[in-house]
Parts: sequence; C-alpha cells; structure tokens
Amino acid sequence: MKSRFVRCLLAALTLAGLTACDDLFDTHPYDVDFGGETDINAKNIRKIERDFTDKDTLCIAFISDTHGWYKDAKDEVADINKRNDIDFVIHCGDLTDTGTKKEYEWSREILSDLKYPYVALIGNHDYLGTGNEAYEVMYGKVDFAFIAGRVKFVCLNTNATEYDYMAAVPNFDFMEEQMKKDSLNFDRTVIVMHAAPYSDQFNNNVAKSFRRYIDFFPNLMCCVYGHDHENTERRIYGDTLKFYGVDCAEHRNYRLMTITPDGYEIEQIVF
Amino acid sequence: MRLNRLFSSIVLLLLCVDVVAGDRMSDSTNVFAPSLSQYEKNVIRYQKHWAALIPSQFVIQNAGNMGVVSLGCGWDYGKHNQWETQVLLGYIPKHQSARGKLTMTVKENFLPWSIELKRGWSVQPLQASVYLNTVYGHEFWKTQPSRYPDSYYDFMSTKFRLNAAVGQRITYQIPAKARKMSKSVSFFYEISSCDLYIRSKIMDSSVSLTDILGLSIGVKFQTF
Repeated sequence: MKSRFVRCLLAALTLAGLTACDDLFDTHPYDVDFGGETDINAKNIRKIERDFTDKDTLCIAFISDTHGWYKDAKDEVADINKRNDIDFVIHCGDLTDTGTKKEYEWSREILSDLKYPYVALIGNHDYLGTGNEAYEVMYGKVDFAFIAGRVKFVCLNTNATEYDYMAAVPNFDFMEEQMKKDSLNFDRTVIVMHAAPYSDQFNNNVAKSFRRYIDFFPNLMCCVYGHDHENTERRIYGDTLKFYGVDCAEHRNYRLMTITPDGYEIEQIVF
Repeated sequence: MRLNRLFSSIVLLLLCVDVVAGDRMSDSTNVFAPSLSQYEKNVIRYQKHWAALIPSQFVIQNAGNMGVVSLGCGWDYGKHNQWETQVLLGYIPKHQSARGKLTMTVKENFLPWSIELKRGWSVQPLQASVYLNTVYGHEFWKTQPSRYPDSYYDFMSTKFRLNAAVGQRITYQIPAKARKMSKSVSFFYEISSCDLYIRSKIMDSSVSLTDILGLSIGVKFQTF
C-alpha cells in the first residue's frame, strides 16, 4: 500500500515537473503566464523619451489591427525596418484575434523584430477571455502617455463596450492628469485610440463631452485610431479636428506621420 | 446554439454508457431469473442500471488546454472496451492573472487497437480523442453577451473550447494477486490542439503546426 502511494506521488510530481516546461505543454488558451519580455510600453517609452526629447522633427509609423494576419504583420514590420526615417512605431490595438496566450506571444514575436521602439494600445479583441490581463502583463496600463519632440502622445483606451460601459472608459481623470503633467515639456498633443467616437466600442453617451474635453489639451493636432480596418481621414464631429483611421495589416498599408515645428504631414504607405 | 447541440449529444452519449454497460451484465442475471420474483428482478434491474454509473477508471493528466493538471473518472464500453468517456476537473494556477481557475472537461477516447505484449503489457497504438473544455469565471461567456452588436464575436465562445488529440498508450495488467484497487494501469501521451488555435492556422498559414500543438501525458487506473 505504501509503495503504491509513493508511486502515485512520484507520478504526480513528474507530471507537475514536466508541466514547468513551458512550450511543450499548453495549460490553457486563457492562462496568463508569460515568460519573455513584459511591460513593453514602459520600457520603450523610456527609450523614446530619452532619445527624442528635443528632436524637432518626428517621424512616427502608425500600424493597427494585426490580429490573425501574422504573415501580413511580418511584412509590415519588414517594410518599416527597410526605412531609415522612422523614430518610433505606435500600434493602435487589436494585437490578437481572441486574446489567447499564444496569440499574444506570436504577436510579440513579430513586433519585437521592429528595429524602432514601439508602443501598443489595447484593442477590443485583446479583451477576450483573460486577454486584458495578458495585455497588462505584456504591455502595461491601458491608458498611457509619453512625450517626444515636445509633443505629448496620449494613448487612450476607448473600448467601453468591453466593460459593458461600467468602467471609466474613456478615462477623463487620466486625461485631466495628462493635460497638466509635465506641461513644461510639451506644447502640442496627439491623441491615439483604438476605437473612434461613434464606433460600436466607444461610450457614445459621452462622445460630445469627450470632444469638448480633449480641447483642454495644449494645441491638439489630431487624433489617430484603428478598429475600422480602413485608411481614412474624417472630421467626425464636423469641426476642424481631424481623425485619421489606420488600416489593418491584411490590407497591407500603414500611416506615416511626420511632425515638424510648423505642423504635421500624414501619408499612407502601401507594402 | 451549435454548442448547445454538442452538449446535449454528450449527455446522450453518457446515457448510452449506462445502457451498454447494463447489457454487459444481463447474462449473469438471466441465470437466476427463474427463481426470482418480479420484485427481485426489478430490484436487480434497478441496481444494474445505477451500477453502470460507477466509474470504471480514474485518470490524471497534465496540460492539454485543460489546466496544469486534471483529475477525473471515466467509463469504458464497446465490444472491446475501445470507447471511453471521461469527465475531468482541471486547475489553471493564478500565474499573472487575478486568480486561479477551475475547468471541466468531457472527453471521448477511441482506441481501435490493442496489441498484447509479454508479461501483462499491451500497447494501444492509437488513442484518438475529442473533448470539450469549459473554464469557470465571470470573464468567460458561452455566447457573446447582449452588450455587443449582433454577430460581433459570433465565431466563438470564450468559455467552451473544443479540442482534438491523438496519442498512444501502454497498459500493464496487474497480476490478480498483486491487485489492490486497479486491475490495470496505463500510461499515455497525446498531442492536442483547440478550436481557436486551429482557426488561427487556417486564417494564416504562417502559423506553424508546432505552434498550435501541445503535449499532454497522463496515467489511467482501470478499476474493473
């Protein structure tokens, strides 16, 4: 009886031990257990803020919605790496299609090939299952901001539907904080989000207040968003504020924004 | 809705286990039949049907998209006991998430061949399985909640995962004298994948096969 117990125990221990080998055994698609690089946004923001603090001309590549189209995303990364004029890359969200651990890892593997520092926003697909927890481990907070070339880039989580409108999305407190924080270090603002106002993800009850509120940011230049899988330029509120939609990887194009002291230019790059 | 149908077919399948296992025992009851009263026959039939629900096997296995480790029991049936239905409970540790999670799996195994070796050992060269896993927690839903527009995430459920696996098994028949709780013990491995990963591979061919496959190993104790 005793030896039987020992045998069972040994079997159980061996199983548990082998489970520690990460790649071979799949615990569950919604297991949040990441080795490798984590907290990517904070690390890359440190690089961006260190290298481009006083740069007067910035060139930013905006990519978005790479979910499920890994081959196209690889080509997109390769195309960006071919260029020598880019300072950093912003991914406008939807890194994964179903928020699984493996998809987050595949996506990270592709984006880590970028030779420029990048930050990634959270898209609605990235919320599925435990996806939002995975995002916070791998990339960091869902609202974040950084300064480069005296321009503040405010990256806002606008996926209100994912919270059933029960959370502070968009987060007005965060916006208010960012209007004032480090105000001596920036003169202009660019707002980046995954889902634009009046989309199926935005909390459209506050779409008008959102518009009024973002005017408090110093010299708001424009807004950039993903989600719609469309390369568009829209005046969503019918006023002067422009919203630039960034296409998905499957359509094989992205946007390049060049910010100069006098203004900015934005172009579509097809690959 | 498709999942609903799947679930009800699994329930039906479990009912079949009862019927098939019941048939297996009918020969022995017939021997005593003439001397038994109707009441006794009814009681025997009643007990026989409930007895079919007693699991004939216990299983422990790791990974396989069911958790770090899963424990369960099962029933075998068919002409050569080549079919098995197992119910397993698995555990996903907290890791970097908010808390640990429980999962439940209904697993159907098919073992078409068994090759006898020496000294009580036998090999089952193929073990083909399909299993449905459900994970417990408020963040998982069966079908998309009403907050989403129609057909928003229609392609999936975050709660239920359909998995497929193939593997092999080696079984040791414990000599009658040495038996305590089990008559045989089997060691198996299986290579599996789930619907979401297979979908990724279909959507994008650059996802490699090794990326979507996972290994699982386990032990099965056959009680009777």
